[in-house]
This record gives sequence, structure tokens and C-alpha cells, in this order.
Amino acid sequence: MSVLEKLTAIPREIVIGLVVIAMIIPTLNPLGLPIMTGQMAKDWYNAVEELPAGSVVLFDIGYGSGGYPSLGPANIAVFHQFFDKELKVIIMATALEGSMMYPLIMDAVNPETRHGAVYGEDYVFLGYIAGVQTAMAGVLGDLPAIVSTDYLGTPIGQIEVLNGIRGAQDIDVVGYLTTAGGTSEGWVYQAYSAYGLPVLGGFLSMMTTSMKPYYDTGQLIGVIDGVKGAADMEYLTGYPGDAIQSSDVLSFSQTLVVIFIIVGNISYWGSRGARKEGE
Amino acid sequence: MDYRRDIPLVITFLIGVIAVMDYYTTFTSVKDVFTIIKNWGIVLEAFALGLGAVNLFRVHGRRISQRSTDWIFSALLLFMLVLFVVVGLGTGQYEAGTQYQWIYNSFFLPIGSTMYSSLAFYMAFGAYRVLRARNLDAFLLFVTAIFVILGNTPIFPATAPQFFYIREWIFTAIVGGTYRGIRIGVGIGAVVIGIRTLIGMETGYLGRR
Amino acid sequence: MVATDPQIWIAAFLTIAATSFVFRDNFAFKISQYTFIGVAAGHALVMGVKNIRDYGWTKLAGGEVIYAVVFLLGIMLYFRFSKEYYWLYRYPIAFLVGNGVGISIRAGIHSDFTLQVAATAAPLLASDAMGTFNNLVIFIGCITALTHFVFTYEGIHKGTLGYVPKVGRWMMLMAFGASFGNTVMTRFGMYQGRILFLLREWLQIV
Repeated sequence: MSVLEKLTAIPREIVIGLVVIAMIIPTLNPLGLPIMTGQMAKDWYNAVEELPAGSVVLFDIGYGSGGYPSLGPANIAVFHQFFDKELKVIIMATALEGSMMYPLIMDAVNPETRHGAVYGEDYVFLGYIAGVQTAMAGVLGDLPAIVSTDYLGTPIGQIEVLNGIRGAQDIDVVGYLTTAGGTSEGWVYQAYSAYGLPVLGGFLSMMTTSMKPYYDTGQLIGVIDGVKGAADMEYLTGYPGDAIQSSDVLSFSQTLVVIFIIVGNISYWGSRGARKEGE
Repeated sequence: MDYRRDIPLVITFLIGVIAVMDYYTTFTSVKDVFTIIKNWGIVLEAFALGLGAVNLFRVHGRRISQRSTDWIFSALLLFMLVLFVVVGLGTGQYEAGTQYQWIYNSFFLPIGSTMYSSLAFYMAFGAYRVLRARNLDAFLLFVTAIFVILGNTPIFPATAPQFFYIREWIFTAIVGGTYRGIRIGVGIGAVVIGIRTLIGMETGYLGRR
Repeated sequence: MVATDPQIWIAAFLTIAATSFVFRDNFAFKISQYTFIGVAAGHALVMGVKNIRDYGWTKLAGGEVIYAVVFLLGIMLYFRFSKEYYWLYRYPIAFLVGNGVGISIRAGIHSDFTLQVAATAAPLLASDAMGTFNNLVIFIGCITALTHFVFTYEGIHKGTLGYVPKVGRWMMLMAFGASFGNTVMTRFGMYQGRILFLLREWLQIV
């Protein structure tokens, strides 16, 4: 077997082992590479910066354990910005595991200690509401008719931040982070299309291509695309976290993937040429 | 009229039409009725969440009783299911309880995160074995993939910012235009399928005859 | 040095067990796989019961007797498992499908068609040469991608006109390549989170 033919048949265990090593080494020895922020994340950041204090944000935690490594850091950075700006945040979850993400995010954000925000006065969590787009249409259409208590069972009449919030007409901006295409499109349909509300969309990087048309037509005024968008938000908000740290690691692991692709192609074409010569 | 098929089709039509009318009209009566429908929809979706658990009990219960292959894993599955239900419902605090959060963070979160992300290894191996520039079509896909990966990898834009700008251009121009065309096609298709469903031409959701 | 919290140890074991499948199927992976299915279904059941209580039972207990119909419809969903009374399942499903379809298609025309077409029909000339070039590429990409999916008129795929859908296919392949590039980042970014957990919270060497 020639060298080129051997290069086309590197065992799976070696490829995967090298990938794991490429992830571990930069985690142990971070490079601290600079972040070049994308325009979509800048638009999200600037849109929130322009909101006056006291503006009402409806935020959907539309991801679960699968999206937590990428979108969790983004969620933390986003909430830091919301509380820095003294916005009123109504949090809901259209994902089954969204209400399990909430305590994890809030432990990291610590709004009471770091931002002086008070639960019930400055923010509230409505919990998981089944139905995805039905839940969205319900909350935006007539919130008090749909939701009677918050996540902890407190009647909404006793929650100050929800006083006077009837639906879309009392909400200034909608934001979401999700791993589901249906949820992502759903907020565009139910918030922007039905009520003309500005929408900030966050999702996995692999969903960016299919959601780009909404951003280009102004239906999404800002986008956080996966771990890259999360790193951008951490950088812009000034709250560095796991996403910026992950960016360093991506340098090694993705470079390794590029090397594998190039090696695979060189060895494929090289061995093909050698075989043709042999004939 | 076949009450087992026709009445459900009528229900689908009526509910769907009210939902559409809520968007296109401003009649208060339509909005009030649709608010009721939305409330009912949320409760029904919640009922539907239990279907998976019931099915698992049926399938894995049978495996345990018949001592089929891997029946011990079926027992583990049902045990974990019951554990979550007992802790969640037993404490009365559902998912807000500290015990529930403990078992979620111990069992669900790590596996959930890992299951989705371990595809990274398959992608790396697959890219190495399959991503070949065999012809023009494959070459186009190959080249843009490489440039996007290089643009996403911080080390390259840090050395030469052009990688970042090329990646941004690919997304602005190529992806923006092409996926707009795809989005228009998908949108028209979804609306057509939706209308066909509402008027009873698509009955797959009714299940077996 | 290493974590002493049993929660961290359980999470670390399950993370490694779930990853081990990339090498080969094994006993540890089976544990994580079956555990995952069980906990996912259990969690869904817990959230379902909570939503039934918060959005259904509180209203029924509050005097809205009509919600008894909703509960009846909800129970009818479970006749899906009956051979003889399967047809009862169709009533609540018809409600859900009608609701879901109506809610999604009503705005789809606006978001996915009207606004997209309007954006494509916008002037190609921008304030700078790069902007104009980008607008041209976007316009060509959109139109050619759409023509690729025209199958009712066969002539569009033949002769000189056939180059239009061909260019569309090339544009789509480039877009899919970009999508692949982003997917690589998604998956690696996700797994990096697990590596961070193992090294920082379990082994505590970061």
C-alpha cells in the first residue's frame, strides 16, 4: 500500500483521537485570540443598547440540554445586557427543557447581586408553555387569558412586572434562543408578521443559512448564530465566558478538520493518478 | 357521513379557518373564539406529551415480561422514567424542585448535551472520507465549506482578516440570495400543504383507516 | 483536585459513556442511551402534567366547566393505542392539526413569500460598487435557485435556458457548503462545552 493509499484509509480511532486531543490542548493552554465580531451579533447588541430603560422584552428560552453548550453562554451574555439596561424581562420557555435551563442561566447571571434586579419587579419567568406557536400566539394575543401563574405558582396579578401587560401591544421587543427551526420561524411569524414586533433571533450556527432571509428582510433585527455569535455577544457586552474560551479551541479542532479534508483530497487524487499511471 | 373520518376533517377545517381569520380580520368575536382555541390547544399539547411515556411502557414493558434481548436496559429505561415522574410530581414542585433539578443536571443534561454534540466526530471523519472535489458540483461545495470553516476559526482571521471578510461575503451574497429562493419555495410549499390539509385533501394525520 | 460532588461524577460518567459510541457500541453507551430515552419521556410527562394543571385544571376548578371537553379530548388522544377505538384519537388530533396549520400558514405567506419577493425586487444599484455587486449576486442566486425547482415546464431545463437552473444548482451547492461549514462549528462548539465540563468541573485542571 503506497503512502497516498494509506492516507486515504486512516483508521477512525486515530482521526477521532486526534480531534479529542485538538480540543483538550487549547482548553488547557488558551491562546487568547482576538474576536472579530460579526455584523449580525452587532445588530442584536445595538438594538438592545438603543432600548430605553423600562422597555419590555419578551424572551423565549427555546433550547434544552442539546443547545446548552452553545446557547447557554449566549443566554448569559444577553441577560447581562438586559439587566444592565434595566429592561423589564418577561421570560418564557417554548422548549420542554427550557424551564430547566432557566435556573442554570440565572445562577450564572445572578441578577439580584450583580445588577440589582428583583424577581417580580424587573423580571419574571412564566415557565414552559406547551404548543410552540400556539403558546407564542397565545402570549402575544392575550397574555392574562392564557397565563394565570408564573413558574413558581404565583398568580400573575401579584407580579408587578406583568401589570398592564396584555399582549403584543405592551411588548417592545421579542428575543429568543432556540435549537428548533419551528420555534425560530414561529417567532418571526407570530411576533413580526402578526404584530410587527421587532424580533431578535438566536439559534445554532447551522440554522443561520436558512434563517438568513429573515434577517436580510428585516424580520430579524439581530442574530446570535451559535457559539460564534455567543462569543461575539460576550465580547460586546463585556462579560467574557465559555463561548470566548471555546473560540480558542475551535481554532485547533476546525483547523484539524480542514487538514483532514485537504489530506483526504490530496491522497485521493494522488492515488487515483498513480493508479492511472500504473495502468 | 363517516363520523370517524369526516367529522375530524370538518374540525380541522373550522379550527384552521378561525386561526387564519384571526390574522386577517379584526372581528372581536373571532379573536375571542381564537383565544379559547389557543387555550385549548395548549392543554391538548400538554396531554400529548404523555403519549411517549405510555408507548415506552407498552414496548419496554413487553420486553421485560418476555425477557427479550437487552431487557435489563429496558428496565433501566422505565426506572429512570418513573424516577423523574415520582420526583417531579411527588414533591409538588414539578421542575422547580431542587431534587428534580439535581436529577436533571445529573442525568438528562450531560447525556442530552453529549448526544447532539458527539456528531462532531462523525462530521470530522465523514469530511475526511467523503468530502472530495470529484467534479465541479462537489468542488463548489468543497471550496465554500473550506472558506467558511477558515472564516469561523479565529486563528485565521487573527492572522489575515481577509478570511473573515470572505466568510461574511459568502453569507451576505451567496447564502443570502440562494436561501431566499429556497425560502420562497418552502414558504409556497408549506402554504399549499396547509391549505390542502385544511380542505381535507391531505389526511395522513388521521392515521390508519 | 478531582470533584467530590456525586452529581459531577454521574454527569462525567454519562458524558464519557455517550461519547464512547463514536468508537463502537458498548455496554456503557447502552446505559446512557436507555437512560436518556427514559429521562426524556419522564421529563415530558412531568411538564405535561404541570401544563395540564396550570392551563387546564385551574380553569376547570375555577368554574369554566367547558374545560371538561378539553380534558375529554385530551384523554381521547390515548385511544391511539387501541385497535378497536383508534378513531377516537382523530378528534383531538384534528383540533391540533387545524390549530397548528392555521397558525403557521396565516403568516407564512407574508414572511416567506411577500417580504422575500419584495426584497428581491428592490433596486440593484447600491451606494457603492461592492453593494451593487452583492445585490446582483443575491438577485441571481434567488432567481436561479427558484428556477431549479420548476418541473412543470420541462423546457426550462433544456438548451440555453437550461443554464439558468444549472447556475441555480451551483449557487445552492455553494450555499450548502457554507451550511456544512457552519454545521462543523456548531457540533464542535457543542462538544467543546462537554470538554470544558470534564476538564474544569470534573477533573478541575482548568
